[in-house]
Amino acid sequence: MTEHNEKLSYLLDDYRGDNPEATLDEVIGDVNLQYRMRRYQIIGDAMRHELPQAIDTDFHQSVMARIREQAEDSPQMSTQDSTASRLSWLTLRPFAGLAVAASVALVTVALWQPLKQESGQPDDNLVSADQQKIEQLAGQQVKGGAVPVSNRVQALGTRWKLEHEMPGLQQKLNAYLVNHTEYSNSVQGLIPQARVAGFDAQQ
Amino acid sequence: MGTNLLDADLVKRVQAGDTGAFDILVQKYQHKVINLVGRFVSDQAECQDIAQDAFIKAFRAIDNFRGDSQFYTWLYRIAANTAKNHLASRARKSANYTVDVDDAEHFEGESGLKEYANPENLLLTDEIRATIFSAIEKLPDDLKSAITLREIDGLSYEEIADVMDCPIGTVRSRIFRARDVIDKELRPLLE
Repeated sequence: MTEHNEKLSYLLDDYRGDNPEATLDEVIGDVNLQYRMRRYQIIGDAMRHELPQAIDTDFHQSVMARIREQAEDSPQMSTQDSTASRLSWLTLRPFAGLAVAASVALVTVALWQPLKQESGQPDDNLVSADQQKIEQLAGQQVKGGAVPVSNRVQALGTRWKLEHEMPGLQQKLNAYLVNHTEYSNSVQGLIPQARVAGFDAQQ
Repeated sequence: MGTNLLDADLVKRVQAGDTGAFDILVQKYQHKVINLVGRFVSDQAECQDIAQDAFIKAFRAIDNFRGDSQFYTWLYRIAANTAKNHLASRARKSANYTVDVDDAEHFEGESGLKEYANPENLLLTDEIRATIFSAIEKLPDDLKSAITLREIDGLSYEEIADVMDCPIGTVRSRIFRARDVIDKELRPLLE
């Protein structure tokens, strides 16, 4: 045992001896040798007046406990793991920019689709499909001889029909509206006529 | 004398994943780091906490240590920066940190500092110093000279052998025997 302790003393003074690796293995694996090494260290620190005001005998234990605690919380803290993660980052870094660019492009395309539909510009394929359906439906003969709604839409409104067929009647009607606006509850001016026009158009 | 070969070996082991090797480095440098931090921060409890943070930062960054400088100079740099950052952070916080008068009695600071410099630790440290110096006084002259030249004057074994006019093996043996005698006195205090 004395031989071990002498080797320890020698090692502490930074002399390697015959087999320094074996001595170091012994120290790391033997708590008693570690305590002895620490006491040797305290002796030297005290002689050089380097001891702190108050020695915390558990200092190194609390440091190591915190290191283990943090390593458990984040496995990357382990030095080997951090090396591996750094290496993998170095390897993957060139692709990171591409990944970001691809993500941005994907999001842009995803957002563009609904915007395009909302703005009334459907996709060309959809247009052609819808158009084909419409044409098919339009060409179908409905049972009972009913006329398709699109076919029932008049080419000209009533007002335009009157203007074309009875121009005199149109003038009379206009004069009637102008003369009777004073009896209207609404604001005078174009609004009653607009109402009539609106009513006429809806017919 | 070697050039911190022990540190280099320990660092290599830590970099290879041997956490126990870092424990040895902590034990070796804890007092020096605490003293260094003590030049920036007067409070003993804060010193201990900052020193602890410095060791943890060193452990996390040890893969970046390539041995271009000595390990302890690298560690001291981390400790000094940690202390400076702590002071800067404390200055920022104190600007808008208030404690209610009623709570002041129980206030221990934001970091919940532990009371390291308690009377027991202060007394123990004084006792350790007294025991060591008393044991040195009782040493035979050859052992006392050898350990003093080594620990206080920092001479290498070869230089001590020159000064004491004896073989290096004898120096090695004398230094160990001196430590062993002092350790026998010191051990009961630390167990």
